[in-house]
Amino acid sequence: MSIHPGTAAKRKAPDSRTATGASKKRRSPTRVNPALYLFPLPAVAIIAFFLVMPTLQAFQYAITDWNGFSAAFNYVGLDNFVRAFTKDSLFTNALTNNLKFVLMVVIAQTAFSLVLALLLTKNSRGSILLRALFFFPTILSSVSVAFIWKFIYDPNFGLANAVLGGVGLEALQGSYLGNNAQALYWVAVTQVWFHAGQMMVVYIAGLQAIPRELYEAAEMDGAGKWQQFKSITWPFVAPATSIVVAYTTVQSFKAFDLILGIAGNPPKQSLDILSTRIYSTFANSEFGYAAAQSIIFMAMIALVTWLQRRLLRLTPKGE
Amino acid sequence: MSQISRRQAIAILGALGFGATAAACAGPGGTTAPGGATGPAAPATGAITGKVSFAHWRGEDKVVFDELIKRFAALHDGVEVVQDISTSNDYNAQGLQKVRGAAIGDAFATFRGAQFKNFTEAGIYTELKDSKAAANYQPGLLSAGKSGESQLGLPYQVVFPMPMANADLFDKAGAEIAPKDWDGFLAMCEKLAASGVTPISWPGGDVGNGGQLFNCMIANNAPVDDMCAQIEQGKLKCTDDWFIKMLNQYKDLVPFLQPNSTGTAVEPAQNLFSQGKAAMLATGSYHIAAVRALGAQFPIELVFPNTSDGNGKYEGAYNATFILGVNSASKNQAAAAAWIDFLSEPENAAYYANQTAQHVSVKDLEYTNPDLKRLSPWLDKKTALAARFQFQNLDVRNAVEASATAVISGTSPEQAAEAAQKIVDERL
Repeated sequence: MSIHPGTAAKRKAPDSRTATGASKKRRSPTRVNPALYLFPLPAVAIIAFFLVMPTLQAFQYAITDWNGFSAAFNYVGLDNFVRAFTKDSLFTNALTNNLKFVLMVVIAQTAFSLVLALLLTKNSRGSILLRALFFFPTILSSVSVAFIWKFIYDPNFGLANAVLGGVGLEALQGSYLGNNAQALYWVAVTQVWFHAGQMMVVYIAGLQAIPRELYEAAEMDGAGKWQQFKSITWPFVAPATSIVVAYTTVQSFKAFDLILGIAGNPPKQSLDILSTRIYSTFANSEFGYAAAQSIIFMAMIALVTWLQRRLLRLTPKGE
Repeated sequence: MSQISRRQAIAILGALGFGATAAACAGPGGTTAPGGATGPAAPATGAITGKVSFAHWRGEDKVVFDELIKRFAALHDGVEVVQDISTSNDYNAQGLQKVRGAAIGDAFATFRGAQFKNFTEAGIYTELKDSKAAANYQPGLLSAGKSGESQLGLPYQVVFPMPMANADLFDKAGAEIAPKDWDGFLAMCEKLAASGVTPISWPGGDVGNGGQLFNCMIANNAPVDDMCAQIEQGKLKCTDDWFIKMLNQYKDLVPFLQPNSTGTAVEPAQNLFSQGKAAMLATGSYHIAAVRALGAQFPIELVFPNTSDGNGKYEGAYNATFILGVNSASKNQAAAAAWIDFLSEPENAAYYANQTAQHVSVKDLEYTNPDLKRLSPWLDKKTALAARFQFQNLDVRNAVEASATAVISGTSPEQAAEAAQKIVDERL
């Protein structure tokens, strides 16, 4: 049985007046039964237990040197945070890698998914089939994707070198993930392949909501395709872009399973990103330090997302 | 039902939030000191019944363990052993957190080195010094499971982290399979290359397996046996001459490795070897079963890349690992200990060894597996205990080993050594 709080209050009001008789107080028509506040209690308890508590604990652990299993530990103040930025080249390397990775993936994935969406906006049979094809990688698990691409990139038996060899481009054959200077770019290609279809769907929804009349009017005014895109499409898909950019950013920061699947555990330095570095630090029994790294990680995602929204002006005024 | 006021409801929610905050502010830790004042206790005794979780990382041995479990269950009514298997990398990273508290892992295994040390410090092992099982092991191989006077774990497997060789390809090339020094090793590689095969298949894209070669390369180069422990402590440095010499020897290997070796994962490296395209697989004897499963039918030998000038201290490298233990937090220690006893009986250890093609530390057993029989002489050779497991800090280990990979990628030995030492220095 469902209870509508407003209805319950309305029904109850005349009864209480009759019962008390002398009471002249009138209940507000929006007043709800206070017991209803207990309904969200299970959800609140779950959030408190699984989200709030661990987050608060992370802050506490971050100022200790706890190893993850001993009863003994020391409070070290902000030493862990200072260490991360000044005395740990593995952490700063992972941070640099991660920012590079985010930049590459956000630009490539946003552009690629928008292009795909523009090409496949119409609801023709061909478009629907292609949309399904491009969306398909999204439904795969990240570990499967990692193993597929690990095979593609294998320099001995892999598909990439085999294809290049097959068409006479042996000179372009390479080591891919084994080349420290290029490895991160190859993983970025995988990440874009994995998620561009999903972002394409977001863009298609945005594009299909644009009134056709605007394009017709623009055409009558003599606007070319580029001008139509610049003046109509881009402003109207800004909310979709906002979602795509924010989601891609968070996704790229947290490409943990993809990196671990494709590069092994622990990944080599050229493929180490913040989430894998934090995992390695936990595995190295430095829980306090890993908690500090996690907090920096969290702050970094928030900062980058905020900066993006400011720079791209994706947040409409008043929101 | 009496009604709750809005104020009361908010108070309940507030109390919940406060409780969560207070709980979050409780100090980390909470376990008792390992072993207490008197050291770890022996496993509890009692009826051998109930469920036993056996946590380990050897997925490839699951079927063999299943058969042993069946035999164990036939001996003890009402006992059930369940294998909780993780991949080796995950087990290395999370094993302690998984086994601690004994939700899984009434009986468990650990890697030698950092993981064994952490398990010991966390008080997870029980004392097996006077156990029936310990008496079955070769005394010289038990040291990897010792902590002070306590015998906490029983290193079950003996593996040789040395390149495996396709003896047929060596014969065909006329190459010396037991080079006496570094020049001899390079000459051997030259002959193999001249015969049209890749001399060494090396999984440089896999940190764990690619790092096994390090055990051989460092054994006769380092001035002391505990070289990796000393690097970690800052007593020896990666920029020392002996270390640079070792990195230069890695550089010597480049022409003899498969192309793009730093991007090769372990499975393709195994394939190159099992298909006869490469004469050696630079991982270790623990991959014998895997390459046999891939169809390799040639006789397999082991080759020690002897980095010395002919006067090296060691003839090879070995590791005693898969250190079996009984969980101190287990509620079924009697059955867990009985399972370890069972595995350690020569008959059962022989079954495990012969089926998985791995030597074991248990004494008085007969190897019937042709690969094990062929490689058994290595058990009596003067081999160095695998050095890379001396590292207690995994970041240090990875950085030091990565210097070798960097050299193979084309970085100069001096630069690679400096980069590794920088990371070591940051962690001193």
